[in-house]
Amino acid sequence: MLSCNNVTFRYDRSGLPVLRGASLELEQGEIGILLGKNGSGKTTLFKNILGIHKPSGGEILFQGQNLTKMSRRERARRIAYVPQDIQFGELTVFDSVLMGRVSHFGLKASHADYEAVEKILQDMGLESYAQRNVAALSGGERQKIAIARAMAQEPKLMVFDEPTGNLDISNEHLIIQEAKKLAREKNISILSSLHDLNQAMNFGDKFFFLKDGVVKYAGGKEIITEDVILDIFDIHVHIVEIENEKVFVGGHIHGNLHEH
Amino acid sequence: MGSIALLQKKRRKQFVVIAMMLLAVLVLSFLCLFVGSANMSIKQCLQALMKKGTNAHNRIIWNIRMPRVLAAMVAGAGLALSGLIMQTGLNNAMASPSTLGVSNAAVFGANLSIIVFSGGFLSTGNNPNNWDVGANPYSTSLMAFVFAVLSVLLILGLCSLRSFSPGVVVLAGLALSSVWTAATTFLQYYATDVGLSAAVVWSFGDLGRATYRTDTIMAIVVVIGFIYFRLNAWQFNALLSGDATARTMGIRVDALRFVSMLLASLITAVCVSFLGVIGFVGIICPHVTKKIMGQDHRVSIPVTALSGMLLLLLADTLSRTIGSGSALPVGAITSLLGAPFFLAIIFSGKENRKC
Repeated sequence: MLSCNNVTFRYDRSGLPVLRGASLELEQGEIGILLGKNGSGKTTLFKNILGIHKPSGGEILFQGQNLTKMSRRERARRIAYVPQDIQFGELTVFDSVLMGRVSHFGLKASHADYEAVEKILQDMGLESYAQRNVAALSGGERQKIAIARAMAQEPKLMVFDEPTGNLDISNEHLIIQEAKKLAREKNISILSSLHDLNQAMNFGDKFFFLKDGVVKYAGGKEIITEDVILDIFDIHVHIVEIENEKVFVGGHIHGNLHEH
Repeated sequence: MGSIALLQKKRRKQFVVIAMMLLAVLVLSFLCLFVGSANMSIKQCLQALMKKGTNAHNRIIWNIRMPRVLAAMVAGAGLALSGLIMQTGLNNAMASPSTLGVSNAAVFGANLSIIVFSGGFLSTGNNPNNWDVGANPYSTSLMAFVFAVLSVLLILGLCSLRSFSPGVVVLAGLALSSVWTAATTFLQYYATDVGLSAAVVWSFGDLGRATYRTDTIMAIVVVIGFIYFRLNAWQFNALLSGDATARTMGIRVDALRFVSMLLASLITAVCVSFLGVIGFVGIICPHVTKKIMGQDHRVSIPVTALSGMLLLLLADTLSRTIGSGSALPVGAITSLLGAPFFLAIIFSGKENRKC
């Protein structure tokens, strides 16, 4: 459904490319996790997929159509974004979610849009929040509203940039479960970056390891080995199996960085 | 109660607030007609309003007070609106109608006209002896306007070449403002004392310079701006989530920013060119509105416009009442009147989380 073919991108014409031919394939309803060190190009790849940046080379196809040729509104009705630093104005939760429908209604929301928002709030158990000020909510709550807003776009793909970055463990778990549930129920694909390897295992169906601007390893849980982690993150971890699930334990930095 | 029903209840409340403010504006503007240095009685004013008073009284009401009250409404709404749009568009709470250097450029243009082309152009309001002809030469206003627009186009042009990120636009505006201020200083340094005083007096905002013609020109620009801003209320709401997120929601951020900055600056340019600098309306009104009504632009756009009208009407009435004979500069009054209220709102516990 989503296929990035050899995507390259540089911020500056003279600068070094951040993406050097990244490719990935994601099917409808699949949850893909993008893993890699800081600066490996995860956010840049997302921004290319979302149309915030235009790829310098390669192509991004979505359901067979070239994404770079779509208008912003067409794209917004297919792909929604849950950013890392979630900002809202001083709006009510209801209006914040309704805002997600702006690519559908354009200038003025219709009654159908209001009903769609009410349905989403009901489905996500946010009804009692409807008239609260979104700027005054906690980080976890705001994350949930951002997901609701993304759902209001009726997307086929949702892109999460570090969805659990600012959350405590219980909220982290809650958000991932919520996203997973939505993906399964509505057959929406998800592409997400995550730092925590164990959360990634718990969340994803497919994994993409990004290094130096290319996707170096891609596949299901079976491809994740101690060697892959060492190559991508330069750390030694132990993978143990608990109840048939891979769990990552320990880890120390490869090489003797502190000798220098 | 379902969330839609709650929402409708809230909308009704907002509608009531807007209706009340509109009523307040109408009442206040009516009352403003009764205040002035001619010390006309209420009866005389009413007679003059129906054009049944003495000739002098008719003209005072219809040719001095009426254009002035209309100017307060139009310029108040315009300056407050462009402040709100600048703040949202540039994602900067300190942005104001003059952020892009508009006011400073207008002041320079006016100074150039008065000092270099030797004054005499100062528009002083309607001429009661020849009231159906707009007797004022527009040259100073025209120069002010030309430079204000030049300044805006320069900044927007520069930014579309490089970057339309809010930080860059604000900094470019700051840089250009200081250029205009410096150029004005040079002009004033070489000016004669008459020229200098005329130039300085020009820069004090004064609603008394308004005529029906200037009111009409200002109203056209303000109304066009209002319609564009209000139509794009959801787009501005989306902009509150940051540029990147707004883009992923289908908003053409750069185009929206360009057009709204241009319109907001044009509104300011027109108002400043005709009336002089009226500061602080564009900061106070949007902030007070946002604190009390939240940031939803569907509501904050009309409410900000109405609060701008109210503030300027009040300030102008006050300036004519306490000035005993000569109206005090309305720009100073807006700040005197608005700043304490503004501070009270900022420091009140209503920090507040209502929208």
